[in-house]
Amino acid sequence: MKPEEHAWQELQRRASAQLRGGFADRVVRTARGPQEDSWRALFSVGARQLRPGFAERVLRAARAAAEMPSLASQFALSAATAAVCLGAVLFVHHQTVEAADERNLAEWQAIVAVAEDDAAGL
Amino acid sequence: MESTSPTALADLVRRAQKGDEAAQRELVVSYQHRVAGFVYAMTGRSDYVEDLSQQVFIKMIRAIDRLQAPAQFESWLFRLARNTCIDQLRRQKLRRIFLPFGEEHENIPEPPGAVDSEELDALQHALAQLRPQDRALLALVQEGRSHAEIAETLETSVAAVKARLHRAREHLREHYQPPHET
Repeated sequence: MKPEEHAWQELQRRASAQLRGGFADRVVRTARGPQEDSWRALFSVGARQLRPGFAERVLRAARAAAEMPSLASQFALSAATAAVCLGAVLFVHHQTVEAADERNLAEWQAIVAVAEDDAAGL
Repeated sequence: MESTSPTALADLVRRAQKGDEAAQRELVVSYQHRVAGFVYAMTGRSDYVEDLSQQVFIKMIRAIDRLQAPAQFESWLFRLARNTCIDQLRRQKLRRIFLPFGEEHENIPEPPGAVDSEELDALQHALAQLRPQDRALLALVQEGRSHAEIAETLETSVAAVKARLHRAREHLREHYQPPHET
């Protein structure tokens, strides 16, 4: 045997010693991916998490949820309240501004009248 | 529910749509284990299963009157389950951003499965590495949904479902590390 052949064999021997037992089987199982029974086991573990009386609890919770106002109706009520408040603020603001305008106009008219009287007197 | 004929299921759904509580209860009982299994496959958290399954069925009861084709009930139910799980996983992700040391590491230890639990662990580990959308796709296939039904659930084409399923399976295989045999 040539020295390099011996070296190659030694290399292969050392490399294969690194492989753990059941290597070929593990490779095949990895390549195939999870099998049906693993999936079935996964689903059945999930199914076992439900406590007895699950359906009754669901129906009770659904009834309670139905009695509560829906998110949409709560939102509609909030929007209506906000609209009424905004309307009230705008109304009060309009009234205040109008009253101030009338007052200012009356004062200006009085000033104008005084100014006209002064001008006529002169 | 697998043993129930499509006609009987459609009748049951129609009764539930009219508000018949017995029919609603029957639907919950018939599908609770399948939905719970799906939720567990999607989230990998046994402590979420009951709560999320309950959310799915409450949504089902509240929205069933809007289901136009009673024959499509199963696809519709699993669409609700998928969306509920994805919403939960999004919320969980957000919570993890704001509460990095929160309760996310707490989990109830899983009971041993019917098969080698190491195989189950390997599957769960691989699923956890996938995007929730891909996990949903694989779980829907395992649930027995056809490509056409999945396409309808995801509002996409059958070709797109096949392509995404192929990629999801590839990713699952990449992350799947079955236990060593000693």
